[in-house]
Amino acid sequence: MVGYRQQPGKLDFTRPGSGGSSSVSEKREPGRIPESQGGDLLQPWGPHRHDDLITGRVIGKRTPLIDSKWKVTGQAVYGDDIRLPGEIIGRLVRTDRHYARVLSIDASEAESIPGVLGIATGEDAPHAFGVLPVTKDEHAMAVEKVRHIGDIVACVAAEDEDIARLAANSIRIEYEDLEPIFDIKDGLKDSDNPIHDRGRYHIGESNVQKRVFQRFGRIQNIGDSIASHEGSWTFKGVNHGFTEPHAVVAHWDPRGRLTLYTPQQVPHYVHRALADVLEIPMHQINVYRTFVGGGFGGKSDPFPHEMCAAILARKTGRPVRITFDREEVFWTNRGRHPSKISMAIHADDEGRFSGIETDALIDGGGFASFGHVTTYYNGVLHTAPYEIGAFHYTGARVWTNKPASGAMRGHGAVNSRCAVEVGIDDISEKLGVDPIDLRLANLLPPHSATITGFRITSIGMRECLERVRAESGWDEKFRKMPLGKGIGVGCGFFISGSGLPIHWDPNKFPHATVHLKIDMDGGVTIHTGAADIGQGSDTVVAQSVAEVLGLPMDMIRIRSRESDTSPVDLGSYSSRVTFMNANAAVSAAMQIRSELIAAASEITGVDEKRIVIGDRRVFSKDDPSIGVSYLEALHKAQEDRGALVASGSYRTPPMGKMHKGAAAGLAPAYSFSAYVAEVDVDVETGKIKVEKVWAAHDCGKALNPLSVEGQIIGSCHMGLGQVISEEMRYGRTGNLLNPDLLGYKIPTVHEMPEVVPIIVESNDPEGPFGAKEAGEGPLLPILPAVCNAVYDAIGVRIQELPMTPDKIYRAVESTCRKGGFESPLDLPSPRLNQTPLSKILKERGAQHSIRDRERRLKSEPSAYHNGALFGNDPETPPEELDPSWHVQVLPDEEYLEEPGLAGSAWLHTERRHRGEGR
Amino acid sequence: MRTPAFSIHTPHTLDDAVETARKLTDEEMEFDWISGGTDLIPNYKWGINPKSHVISLAAVEEIRGVSAFRIGAMARLQDIVESAEVHPLISEAAASVASIMIRRSGTLGGNLCLDTRCFWLNQSETWRRSIDYCHKCDEGTGADCRVIPNQNELCVATYQGDLAPALICLGAVVHLASSAGRREMPLEQFFQEDGITRNVLKNGEIVTHVELPESSSSMVGSYQKLRQREAWDFPEGGVAFAVQVDEQGNISGLNMASTGFESIPRSHKDLVDSIDMGAEWGLEAKRLGVELKRTVRPVLNTWFPPSYRKKMASVLAKRAMEEAAKRITSA
Repeated sequence: MVGYRQQPGKLDFTRPGSGGSSSVSEKREPGRIPESQGGDLLQPWGPHRHDDLITGRVIGKRTPLIDSKWKVTGQAVYGDDIRLPGEIIGRLVRTDRHYARVLSIDASEAESIPGVLGIATGEDAPHAFGVLPVTKDEHAMAVEKVRHIGDIVACVAAEDEDIARLAANSIRIEYEDLEPIFDIKDGLKDSDNPIHDRGRYHIGESNVQKRVFQRFGRIQNIGDSIASHEGSWTFKGVNHGFTEPHAVVAHWDPRGRLTLYTPQQVPHYVHRALADVLEIPMHQINVYRTFVGGGFGGKSDPFPHEMCAAILARKTGRPVRITFDREEVFWTNRGRHPSKISMAIHADDEGRFSGIETDALIDGGGFASFGHVTTYYNGVLHTAPYEIGAFHYTGARVWTNKPASGAMRGHGAVNSRCAVEVGIDDISEKLGVDPIDLRLANLLPPHSATITGFRITSIGMRECLERVRAESGWDEKFRKMPLGKGIGVGCGFFISGSGLPIHWDPNKFPHATVHLKIDMDGGVTIHTGAADIGQGSDTVVAQSVAEVLGLPMDMIRIRSRESDTSPVDLGSYSSRVTFMNANAAVSAAMQIRSELIAAASEITGVDEKRIVIGDRRVFSKDDPSIGVSYLEALHKAQEDRGALVASGSYRTPPMGKMHKGAAAGLAPAYSFSAYVAEVDVDVETGKIKVEKVWAAHDCGKALNPLSVEGQIIGSCHMGLGQVISEEMRYGRTGNLLNPDLLGYKIPTVHEMPEVVPIIVESNDPEGPFGAKEAGEGPLLPILPAVCNAVYDAIGVRIQELPMTPDKIYRAVESTCRKGGFESPLDLPSPRLNQTPLSKILKERGAQHSIRDRERRLKSEPSAYHNGALFGNDPETPPEELDPSWHVQVLPDEEYLEEPGLAGSAWLHTERRHRGEGR
Repeated sequence: MRTPAFSIHTPHTLDDAVETARKLTDEEMEFDWISGGTDLIPNYKWGINPKSHVISLAAVEEIRGVSAFRIGAMARLQDIVESAEVHPLISEAAASVASIMIRRSGTLGGNLCLDTRCFWLNQSETWRRSIDYCHKCDEGTGADCRVIPNQNELCVATYQGDLAPALICLGAVVHLASSAGRREMPLEQFFQEDGITRNVLKNGEIVTHVELPESSSSMVGSYQKLRQREAWDFPEGGVAFAVQVDEQGNISGLNMASTGFESIPRSHKDLVDSIDMGAEWGLEAKRLGVELKRTVRPVLNTWFPPSYRKKMASVLAKRAMEEAAKRITSA
């Protein structure tokens, strides 16, 4: 019997100081030591600033997640597993109205039920909160209005769940119904009762929560294109579909401090929100992150139920536990925004993208959540990886009487990326070129700036495309397969951490801080606030420290759960944790490393500069026999002071341009990916089967290839759901029809294709050991890759996701009707007739490939600004030389005469500009 | 999610079972039968017509067992899938039900008596309160149907059992028992057009087993099922087709039945009787598909829109006929 039954003493734990001559010591693996440090590890992308910290221990090795054994043996404690003495059950009273004013709440019947211990309503928590400081529009419970079915009106605490449910059903609420809106377009109109009131900042009298206007580049040249794609997309809302429903336990201890046990991605924001809502200082609150049974962005807001649990626990003096039904998860939502996106892409006679015009109207549901950012992301996150001549984006987010949309894996980038990549496929067909050739001839080089001023450092886009092209057999299959069989390509681009920490000045406070403590036993305790939500953040931090200190993983332990002991971390969102937190961990470990080296130098007399760290041993690099064990060095360093402690942190460098909204989408690094999908479409029923996916992702450096592959495969599954079957479906009455996992169609194992994960390592100069994100970016390309493959298979483009069989069938039927085909089986499949432009693109792609290789290996490459491909000086921002180069963030009157759908949000004037409002 | 409290009765013989039901009826207690519970318990958790008494059939030995011509009501679906004796058409239909875990619990009787389903019904209590409930579970409000308003007569919730069409095609006879005695009927007569009453079962009556004619062993057929995902999902439409094939390969006794389109499964014997055996099979399959499309009347209460389900009826019928023909040739 292996596994947890094994006696702990019999596991092959390493002795802390047994490096060097000991038989359990592992040899240095030259294949893991970079060539710049004298090892054999090839570095085709050049050396990295962390090279001299590489001890060849764990970085780049397939490492099982350090918390995996807790999970597989059932010992992981999730939100609902917390059991405290005297605990009682809380239940939320949710409204059955779409939109109504709450007139009165009568709890007298509920109060009289034996076993009911406490009831709270909106009056108990008048303070608003929200995940973004600029849009605090949520309350623990309704204070004035309920905004969607399932919105919380009150909550009860009782001895057990049955009583709590009974009591919740016994609360009588009197409402005045208001006119609800469900259609996203209605949100643009003026309303008698806007869903929220933003005071003087309210946009018109409408339900527009946020609007964005951006014009960059030579907008006037867009008309000169020789081929254009125009798409009009509808994306249904999708939910994260994580396994663990939300659950929370709140406990006020005898000293009057609150501990909140919650599966949270972003414990620090809950911490702040609790202080606001409960009117107590933050130091009186300990936020304890339990194991998180999946988050994907759906557990990153501070939530009303967390406030309710704390309020009920304070009222009753007992620990209160609240666990959601699945339906409540859907009502809490924060999933991807339902969107209407029109996308126009233009190409000129040299096959360059002369312009991208996007108009995105997104449905925020009842609350703001992350929506302010999402509105920007829908535009700015498709300004790369291609060099573009002009970029015009209008975006608007409206409130409707539905559960709130928010952040979900690939936040804000997924839908518009799908529209862009399908557009490029269409343009390449119109130009008569291979879509991969077209992409390869239009990529931004390493160390460049995008049209809106994002700083691109490493970029492995070209390698991703080349790898999937070769491995999928693209050239033999594309536009050559029979009806029903198809292959398609799609790319992705995503932030690796958000450059702007929303609660403070990035120039003053770090994004992430990690503390290390090493006592006489030699084990290293890492204190971090980064939330492991299953993505493996604990493991990656442990790996980083183990690598720098030359220690095996079993000597590293993580304390990342409690805000009482963890340094503040911004949490697990925007794919920031590996980049920022591992960088902080490396910086802390470097301090310990120098102390160990100083101690070893003192013992051996070898110059500190000549000392290296290997497997639990600190020794001279010139004569490895001169050295001391790790423990000897450690104990020497601890003399007169005891445990070694160190604090390391990470802060992003100053980046970006100065225009309004310039910080949205700004990141210290970006990830890139390219997927090829092969599909089989049943033309008679419209059913899609995705057979195989070749998925290449540039994560900079795979610190843990096992978990990078896991992220790629998982992303494929999640994105696939949005393409083929997942949607939050609302009926004619505005009710969410499928708030359960039978009705909400997450693909099963039968729908899941074989995924071939391909890791591309572009060695990011600022990432820890070269790493960038791998958690969200890999989701983006699967959507357009499948859409494009469906087109290759049946010659039909469907601009509505999910492409359920009925939609495909409808499109097939109409194509048959138009083409005069009697049966869908007679449809022709698309074919490619290459034009002379193909050759031009291939040549340009080959030249750029050489250009990129040179630039990435140069230690100080020259500046490269988007626009150089169109004849601008690459080293100067184009707006400085060309007065006709737009940098415009407010619409002009000409635009407002004929605005796009989302752009029409700008027809409203804010109250403050009308001289109204508070 | 909490299952509402109920008292459970566990009779050990069929007589005990119907007697328990009689007693409860005499005491004016409402009750449900439970076999695998994979349909009933989720509905209870949603608060859809829960009863205070439940009679479990788990211990009733007489109504188990799977053999070529007799399948007990308590036979687990997975046992039907794995049985070497059962007609392949029945195994095929059983294998398409939900997932293996549900099939290990779910039973033949439960599948036949499956409650009808509807977007406006299979929801939590708060949800249903938000639409003021519906006809099928009105909580005493006298609510209207939410699918087709202003017709307070028939419930149009959809029947989504997979086994019924296969069994109907093979000429199955269903056996029922109650304290008043036993009766039997062809399976297609078991179902009654209404999403609420659903079938002919009287209060206190249960399905004991289905019986298949010996001639069914020489029938060849196919079951085609439409759904979004290849596991878990109920049929959005299902068509079974079977023909009698004699030793010389002559074909007779054609039958077709559908499920998932309406509030009951339906036999389409009249349609297949019109098949011209002299004509080319492929063309006849196509023609019959179009006929079936005109016959079925789906409504908007499941995952796919009714217009699509109607059109797919023709594809399913065509494919069932073609697949059956293929199987005849290969056999």
